Amino acid sequence: MAESVKVLPEEIQGIIEVHEWDMRTREGVQRFKELKAKSLPSVALDGKLVYEALIPMQEDLIAEIRLRHQQKNRDSLNVS
Amino acid sequence: MTTHRKKQRYIYRTQGVCPPEIHFQVDQGYLSEIRFVGGGCPGNAQLVTRLLEGRHLEEVLQLVNGIDCRNGTSCPDQLASAIQAITDGRLSPATSFLLVEDHTPKARMGLIGELAGNPQILKKMVRAMSESGVETVVCLGNLTGESMQNRQTLKSMRKLDIQAIQGQNDWNYAMGTESPPYPPLDQKARDWLIQLPQVLSFLVGPKKCIAFFGDFIQKLPGYSDYEPFALEMNMVCGLTDFMRDETVFPALEAMTPQFHADVVLFSQTRKWGYWHVGGKDFISIGPAADPDGLSWGLLESVHDDARFEVMRIN
Repeated sequence: MAESVKVLPEEIQGIIEVHEWDMRTREGVQRFKELKAKSLPSVALDGKLVYEALIPMQEDLIAEIRLRHQQKNRDSLNVS
Repeated sequence: MTTHRKKQRYIYRTQGVCPPEIHFQVDQGYLSEIRFVGGGCPGNAQLVTRLLEGRHLEEVLQLVNGIDCRNGTSCPDQLASAIQAITDGRLSPATSFLLVEDHTPKARMGLIGELAGNPQILKKMVRAMSESGVETVVCLGNLTGESMQNRQTLKSMRKLDIQAIQGQNDWNYAMGTESPPYPPLDQKARDWLIQLPQVLSFLVGPKKCIAFFGDFIQKLPGYSDYEPFALEMNMVCGLTDFMRDETVFPALEAMTPQFHADVVLFSQTRKWGYWHVGGKDFISIGPAADPDGLSWGLLESVHDDARFEVMRIN
């Protein structure tokens, strides 16, 4: 799963921060449960589970990331 | 044949490289069983491991010290740091769970759950198992309990030559951290409890089985997620909450190909249970005595498969 994130275009890599949890570890299991995930692999964006038991198409993943990025920018403009 | 670990095992937490830990053993100054765990380049790690297997620490230090890959260090350089830390007395042997491995295949095994310090039940169980053609008996922990007969129970265990693993109560007694209503126990009995394995690996036919009590093992000092059978325990105790959360079974199924064991046995929940997930068998061993009577588990090899059955004694 991390591979599909690593190959994202540079412009996308620049706006995201990637964390990978190892399911073999107690820490990874803890995070998996916090996200209320059920299957592997799972991808969460901004702490919300978005993909479960599938590796998304690159364009779908980019669209989801952009959507959240734009939403955040809009929110921060509204605040200022 | 049963083997205890004799070499000194070390776990080194790395800095600046992909694998978070290096595991290795040292036997009279010679290095063996090096594993770079949790990340990195598996091929290169295997090469380093093979080339350094059986070499003396001083020789290894000369070979790997100062190799650079990233952040001014590398996996081999971190191994050099680990060796240096041993030499300087900054790294002590790992004190994680005690694993005992029995390599002799068995056809029929008898499994006893929580005895809670009841030698009479133990004797009844062993008699019933003997009548059922059981070759080996294993008790999965909590031999002791809130009983005045704990000492007598342990004496019977020794006399009957029953293999036992530590449960939470037994560990507390071994460490001297039990508290009322658990009655006192003499030092000799505590010393016997402390040497019991915490994880037992054995063969039923061709199937590799592991037995452990429960999640106190994950809290032992030095416990590493990358040790043999730690994955099985993390999945049972953590992910599935002792197989009670069936919604995460798809995730469990994704992890089982990495298991070392085919059959995983535990006894903390004090309930009988059997699950087959991802080609592996998971068995929860209930207490020896419950309101319905006495029960024990029969694990046998049938056509190279492991078959489990709960046996009742009336």
